Amino acid sequence: MGVGLLQCLIFGLFCLFAVRLWYLQIHLGPVFTEKSRNNQLRTEYIFAPRGFLRDRNGELLAVNEPAFVLGLVREDCDNIPATLDKVSEWTGIPAERLKDIYTRNKPKVKPFEPLTLVPDLDFDLIAKIEGGSLRWPGLDILSRTRRKYIYGHLLSHVLGYVAEANEAEMQADPTLSMGDFVGKQGLENRLDNRLRGTKGKRLIEVDVTGRRLSEELQRDPKAGEEIFLSIDLGLQQLGHKVLEGKAGSVVVMDPDSGEVHALVSEPSYDSNTFTTGLSSAQWAELRDNPMHPLQNRATQGVYPPGSIFKLLMAADGLHENAVDPSETVQCTGELALGNHVFRCWKRGGHGTVNFQRALVESCDVYFYKLGMKLGVDRISSYAKMAGLGEPTGIDLPHEKAGLMPSREWKMKRYGVRWTKGEDLNLAIGQGYTGLTPLQVARLIAALINGGKVLKPQLMRGVAPEVQGNIPLTPAHAAMIKKAMIATVEDPRGTCRRVLTPGVVVGAKTGTAQVVRLTDELKRMGDNVPYKYRDHAWMAGFGERDGRRFVVVAMVEHGLHGASGAGPAVKAMLDALFLGKKELPPRDIEGAERPAEPAARVAVDPVEPQFPDPTHEPEVVQ
Amino acid sequence: MTPIDRRMLYHVNWPLVGILAALFFVGVLNLYSASGVRLEEGVSVEPYYQKQIIWGTIGLVGMLAFMSFDYRRLSAVAWPLYVVTLLLLLTVPFLGKTIYGARRWLDFGLFSFQPSELAKFAMLLLGARILSTEPERLDLKRLAYILGLGLVPTLMVIKQPDLGTGMLVLLLLGGLILYRGIRPWLFRTLCVLVPLLMPLAWFGLKDYQKRRILAFLDPATDPLGSGYHILQSEIAMGSGRIFGKGFLAGTQSQLRFLPEKHTDFAVAVLGEEWGFFGMMVLLSLFCAFLYQVAMVARDAKDPFGSYLAAGVFFYFFWQVLINMGMVLGLMPVVGIPLPFISYGGSATLVNFSLLGLVLNVSMRRFLFKQN
Repeated sequence: MGVGLLQCLIFGLFCLFAVRLWYLQIHLGPVFTEKSRNNQLRTEYIFAPRGFLRDRNGELLAVNEPAFVLGLVREDCDNIPATLDKVSEWTGIPAERLKDIYTRNKPKVKPFEPLTLVPDLDFDLIAKIEGGSLRWPGLDILSRTRRKYIYGHLLSHVLGYVAEANEAEMQADPTLSMGDFVGKQGLENRLDNRLRGTKGKRLIEVDVTGRRLSEELQRDPKAGEEIFLSIDLGLQQLGHKVLEGKAGSVVVMDPDSGEVHALVSEPSYDSNTFTTGLSSAQWAELRDNPMHPLQNRATQGVYPPGSIFKLLMAADGLHENAVDPSETVQCTGELALGNHVFRCWKRGGHGTVNFQRALVESCDVYFYKLGMKLGVDRISSYAKMAGLGEPTGIDLPHEKAGLMPSREWKMKRYGVRWTKGEDLNLAIGQGYTGLTPLQVARLIAALINGGKVLKPQLMRGVAPEVQGNIPLTPAHAAMIKKAMIATVEDPRGTCRRVLTPGVVVGAKTGTAQVVRLTDELKRMGDNVPYKYRDHAWMAGFGERDGRRFVVVAMVEHGLHGASGAGPAVKAMLDALFLGKKELPPRDIEGAERPAEPAARVAVDPVEPQFPDPTHEPEVVQ
Repeated sequence: MTPIDRRMLYHVNWPLVGILAALFFVGVLNLYSASGVRLEEGVSVEPYYQKQIIWGTIGLVGMLAFMSFDYRRLSAVAWPLYVVTLLLLLTVPFLGKTIYGARRWLDFGLFSFQPSELAKFAMLLLGARILSTEPERLDLKRLAYILGLGLVPTLMVIKQPDLGTGMLVLLLLGGLILYRGIRPWLFRTLCVLVPLLMPLAWFGLKDYQKRRILAFLDPATDPLGSGYHILQSEIAMGSGRIFGKGFLAGTQSQLRFLPEKHTDFAVAVLGEEWGFFGMMVLLSLFCAFLYQVAMVARDAKDPFGSYLAAGVFFYFFWQVLINMGMVLGLMPVVGIPLPFISYGGSATLVNFSLLGLVLNVSMRRFLFKQN
């Protein structure tokens, strides 16, 4: 064949490689350029510190503290099972758990990024791991910051907590990556975007071993915003202290701005336990606690308002001209309607009562009659104007709307018509009606600020937001206010115990029946079993030198309004106006890290689901 | 016989020498970059390019040595050299030095020596000697005889194990056989039979060799093993695009993503830094180089000289085809370097010496007319 063969071979060689080179370098050039960049460049995000939270006086509530995390870079690790065994030996965490953590997180983390094995290292462990790091390539101690709630128990319902972002959150927000913290509950959740800040970005050039050759800052991290709450830490602490051992809520609100100075719910939990990941046992303990510490009673607890509702009845009565303040009513202790007898809470009755007396002594018969006059439609539409039956719109997740019944509602709900007798129950705040303590606070605020229904604000210095108005003339407002003051100051008033020298105080009690009183329960008097006891309410205001505040206290199963909820209101008024306030001790001691690091690793971490659905106060029928 | 005289200097194949010089220059320049490693501060260059220049100088001496005698005398050495080679190959398993798990080297104290390198040369001489005296195209008997002669050293080299060199020995002989030509019917039969028998060879391969072939067929099966080589090499090549990333600026090579970058994959560095343009220049140089060698084979004044030149042609042709095929992802990973571009001391010496032989044939092409 000879030389012709050789020439053919040369020609073939040239064509083959020329075509292949064109294909690789020109046709696929952009593809391979991208791949080469991916080899060489890595984007690294720079953590932006989360904004601090402070109370209205600047006291720190939530800060960031350094924490050390053990990560594993898969690409740099040559024997992963052996490394996991070694880590298990160091930390005392069983090897299977580590393997479990490893396999669960593996798909979420890129091979050259650290995969978090142990979320919190103490200094002994850091020293041990640093010492062994040369022989165990791929192990990496990362410094992170962790959210710290300085008063973990005091503000857990307001602040909520942060925890590591879950799969869904990372999908929804591409700037989030594995191990980032996001607000899950409370203000941390609602203000997450402001608190979180913006991560910085850095482009790193690496060689095949992952060694950094150069880096270029593309964007500076921007720290999250520092936010001042309207909460007064001292007041908040006091609220918790007064309610200690009970289940209940205290709300202190500025009736002119809507700022909430205290939002207490007892019992509470420690926000700090959520930031490291809760084990399912810890979670079950919180969730199944019969006292329901997870529930924020101020916004999620719905209770019949009892006699507190008479204030709204009074306002509506005045508005509809159904009430003549000078007109008197005879209270014999009961009122018969059809074949049913409606009783006043006072056996034997109040005798002759007028508008003010009826409020001061909380006469049921007076309001039965007013209820009959007004009827459910007028009461319910007035209550709706006061925002009852609607969430207040406070910046907290999972707020409850409560319930304001109406004729249509009953038809739809039960398929039965509204009865005349129910008008009477409605008038004294029993029956279907259910309100949250915060709704009651907003109602009282509207009654004394001239009818403005304000959005409760949790942040300091925010412009007041008027959500609506209740029709209330200044003269009518003054009459209601006068009656409330008399309730405190009158010798026969139900709220005498909140009398505060030098301060104009007005209030109204409420006792909400949990179950219909049977003769048996009545005989037991104050020794009724806890779960059958009435809920105790007291709602009022204090005023001095142009400063005024609404205070609402609600104690579950507190028996009587005055004795059950009164002390809480009194303590708040003293603190607000007499300066009897003490700063709480920082309860971070209890939240310190346990010595055993193994205990910090939630082996079966759970994603706590709010709201806790199990607890609804029983509604009386 | 005539040593070099003044007349012959006129007949030295200067174009071939020029192309060789150009290829060697490109190779050294590329090696400078290929042996560079970028650290935090600047580039650190390992001195492979200097060693290559030294070996090139030694190779030049070898080349002159191979030009200095009349090549026809080699015909008489063919058989003895073949026998010596076989003997040396036989001793390797017992006396050889083991490096990287393969027993290929004989240690002579001052220097180590690979009998398999000698096997290529011995095969070249013996093939040229036998085939140049074949009166007609080969029939089955002659083909079997010659292939048998080639298979003995081939199998011994493959057993070392050194699949690359073993294949090269056999391919070189195969090229020469095709250059001589075989009977048309036999050729057609072989065209059908060889592809059918190829899969049988699979069972003779070692595990790592099988893995390489599988990785070639589907690089994704083994992205960190031999698939990694192919992938990174294609990335280097492809990301060079039209004009490349510039000298010393290839990220795949400088940041060491590209494996074996100064030896088997050196040409990928060139592709990355000089792009399509640079690769076409290199490819053209190789083709011109092969063309010149082919012309020597055509113009040689006796069959033995022609077959020697053709043998050298195939020696280079197969290496270029296999190495570039591998780097461009057209062939499995086989450890065959690219002549003049990949770093390698003894390979450089052998390459230059073989070209000396070609130049020897070329410059004596007019002499015999006068005799």
